[in-house]
Parts: sequence; C-alpha cells; structure tokens
Amino acid sequence: MLGLMTADFDFDLESTAPASKEELLGRVARGDEAAFGDLYDQMAPRVLGLVKRLLVDHAQSEEVTQEIFLEIWQSASRYEAQRGGASTWILTMAHRRAVDRIRSSQAGRDRDTKIGIRDLAVEYDNVSETVETRIEHERVEKAMSRLTELQRQAISLAYYGGLSHSEVAERLHIPLGTVKTRLRDGMIRLRDELGVAS
Amino acid sequence: MTGSGNNRVDNGGENPGELSGAYALHALNPDEAARYEAHLASSEQARIEAAELSDTAVALGLATAPVQPSAAVKASLMARLASTPQLPLLQAPAAAPAASAAGPASVPPDAVETPAEASAGSVTPTVSPSRGTASERARQRWFRGPVGMLAAAAAAAALFVGGAFAGQAFNSDQFQQQQAAGLAQINSAPDSKRASTTTADGHKATLVWSVERKLSALLVDDLPALPSDKDYQLWYIGGKGPVSAGTFDSSGTGTVWRVLDGSMTFGDLIGVTVEPKGGSRQPTTDPIIAIQSS
Repeated sequence: MLGLMTADFDFDLESTAPASKEELLGRVARGDEAAFGDLYDQMAPRVLGLVKRLLVDHAQSEEVTQEIFLEIWQSASRYEAQRGGASTWILTMAHRRAVDRIRSSQAGRDRDTKIGIRDLAVEYDNVSETVETRIEHERVEKAMSRLTELQRQAISLAYYGGLSHSEVAERLHIPLGTVKTRLRDGMIRLRDELGVAS
Repeated sequence: MTGSGNNRVDNGGENPGELSGAYALHALNPDEAARYEAHLASSEQARIEAAELSDTAVALGLATAPVQPSAAVKASLMARLASTPQLPLLQAPAAAPAASAAGPASVPPDAVETPAEASAGSVTPTVSPSRGTASERARQRWFRGPVGMLAAAAAAAALFVGGAFAGQAFNSDQFQQQQAAGLAQINSAPDSKRASTTTADGHKATLVWSVERKLSALLVDDLPALPSDKDYQLWYIGGKGPVSAGTFDSSGTGTVWRVLDGSMTFGDLIGVTVEPKGGSRQPTTDPIIAIQSS
C-alpha cells in the first residue's frame, strides 16, 4: 500500500506525462497528429485562459485559440528548445495573436470600452484552477504589488488589456514617453522580483 | 556577433532601448517594433533584456486562470490538420547529440536542434520562468547571427520567399511567421473554402480562402524549382486586369504555399506565372495555374 502510494507520487512528480511539451512540439514539427492532440490537451486551457483575458468574448476567444493552435501545427519546426520552454513559445504566440485580433477588429474596439483598470485578482475564481496555477498566480500578484501604481496600471493595461502604449498613455492621461519608461522600469522590476534573470 | 550587420537606425535621437518593455508586452505598432528589432540586431545587451522581459511577460500570462475550451474546438482543429501544411524543418541533423545538456557553447550557430532531441536530456517542467537560466537562454535565443539565420532561411527554401523580403534574414523569419499566421486564419475561418486544379505538369494546386477575412492562399504539390533568375508570381485576375499578389519560389519537393498579398474578393480568378526574379508589373508569360475562388 505504502509502496504503491510512493510509486504514484513519484509518477506524478516527475513523469506525469509520457512526453514533455518540448518533446511533443518536436513530434508535431514532424507531422505527428497524436502528439499535437496531447499538446493541445495540455496547453489549450492556458491559451484560452490568456486569450479570453484579453478578448473577453468567449466565442471569439475560442476562434483565436483555434488559430493559434493551427499556427503551432504549421510552425512547430520554428520552435527552438534552447531558446526556452514550449509553454513560453506558445504563450508568447498566444498573446501576440490575441493582441493582433484586438487591433484588427471592431470587436476589439468595442471590447475596449468594457475594460477598466483590472486587477489581477479579478476573475480568479475559476474551477479549473490547479495548485500550479494558483502558486504562479500568487507569485505574480506579489511581484506586481512591488511596482509603483503607475507601473502596475500601465503593464496591466498593455498585457491584460491588449492596449498599445499610446492607448495606455491616453487612458492614463500621461505622456507617451512616460508610459514607455514605466513599462520598461516596471517590467525590469517584475523580472527581478520573479527571478527571471539569472 | 558584434560587428556583423550594423543596423543602426536613426530615429531622431530617441533611445530605442526604451521600447523594451512595450515590445515585450506587444504594445508597439509594427513600425516601432521593426525599429526596436533593428536595435536588437546591433546590441547583445538589448537582446538579453528583450528575451528576459519576454519571459517575464509569459509569467503574467501563466498567472491567468485557465479556461477549458469546448470539445468542438479540438475536434475542428484535428480535422483540419491533414489539409494544413507545415513549415519544413530548418535542418534535420542526423542523430544530433543532446546539445542542451552539454551546454550552449557546443551548439553550432546554425544547428537548429530539434526539440525532441534537445529536450531528451533536460526536461523543463511547465511553469518555471524562475529557473535562473534565463540569461543563458536569452543569449541562446539570439545566438544565431545573420549568417546562421541566412543559412537557416536558405535551408527552408521549400518555402515561399517573398520578393521584398528575400535576402533580409531577420525579416524573412518574420515573414514566414506572418505567412503561417495568415494561413492559420484562413483555415480556421468559419467560411473557409477550397478549390483544386491540376497544372499542365500534373501538380495538384489548391486555393483556400475566406471571403470574410479577404484572405487566400495557394498550395501546390511538388512545384518544380526555378532557375535563380526567376520567381513564381501570383495574380488576382479580375475585370481590371491582373494585379500582383506576391512572388514565391519552390524547392521542387513537398508542398509550397503562399498567402496572397492584398485582399481577395469572392469570385476572383487566381493565377500563377513564371516571371523574372522579383516579379513583374504585369504578367509576361501565360499562367501555369489558374483557379477560380468560387
């Protein structure tokens, strides 16, 4: 009994999935549809969670999520493992595409009016929350709390609101030059707080 | 790395390094982003900062609550895979060593390791922007200098090469990503349609399009490679005469595809001619392919 539990525990910790996302992406690059399905299962809730945070509308967010995964399928060969993890590659692409959608569509403009300055804490009562995401969430929230109010607002509007820096300037009634500086200072501070730099 | 490709850009005294935060947050317009990328090409320090801030932005993304998509999204995606061509591997090294375990220095600049092999040695768990190796990865991220990137681009020659982008490796990679994004948009559009024909030489050509998105792409199997002084050129052939929709070339094997420049209108006839390198203002030869979008 004890032995069995230990075995399960090890299994969970180290090799839950038979293949890492990086390995899956490598197989996807070679046209492996099953690997794509596995990668989708692991990453789609992350991607949709992020996209929906920006786009708000669920149907449109699912559509963009689908686009993102088709792009992953097409350009998996462009992923380079030495540049970073698969999640990083995928989420960077996801954010980029969500922002593209906002900038290109009227829906994005309409959505704009719904977005105030939203705190990270908002909307975080999702049932699919896991220990992993909660820990990450708390870590980021804590790091965000170390920023100045202006840095935090500017970064939130840009990243979670999908606003361009000039739109952020308009929204916060501050000069564009100041926004640039706040975004940079704030991101550097976050980087240090999160220990992204070695 | 230093010294090669001095892409200094005059921007009226403004320090382009200031844009790093906005760049990582995707808050720049395309012109500003291009300017910042030119700056990246000339400064290693800036490249490291850009990579680190990009990782930081991902941490913000990982802090959002996951949302489960409906089952229909996956079903629809899986059904589209077979008809969605993939960018070719940049390079397929025969049994590459587990380079990531051995350390970045052992990776030749243009040896793009395949993810499966690379991750065999060190499996990175999901949520860890804090693993402390970001700076190293940041260096790696931009390790390939212009020469390596050109080599990689050449290796990917099966691909459409846009006339305006050929020879600019930095942009070429972006161009490929734009193309991939364009094709993904077409294929995932609710009104996505396709029509096929066969060239005189027996190659299958398929046009996919979305009227709603005004986008179309042409896919051709095993289109012969052209001499280096020629390009394939795409045309919208409508009532006002042919309008160029961009150029591409082909390696001769596999599926070559190109998202058309400009806007497609329902019913447009799409043609392909062989033209002098870089394309012509008007077609100078008869079309080898013509497909109606209807």
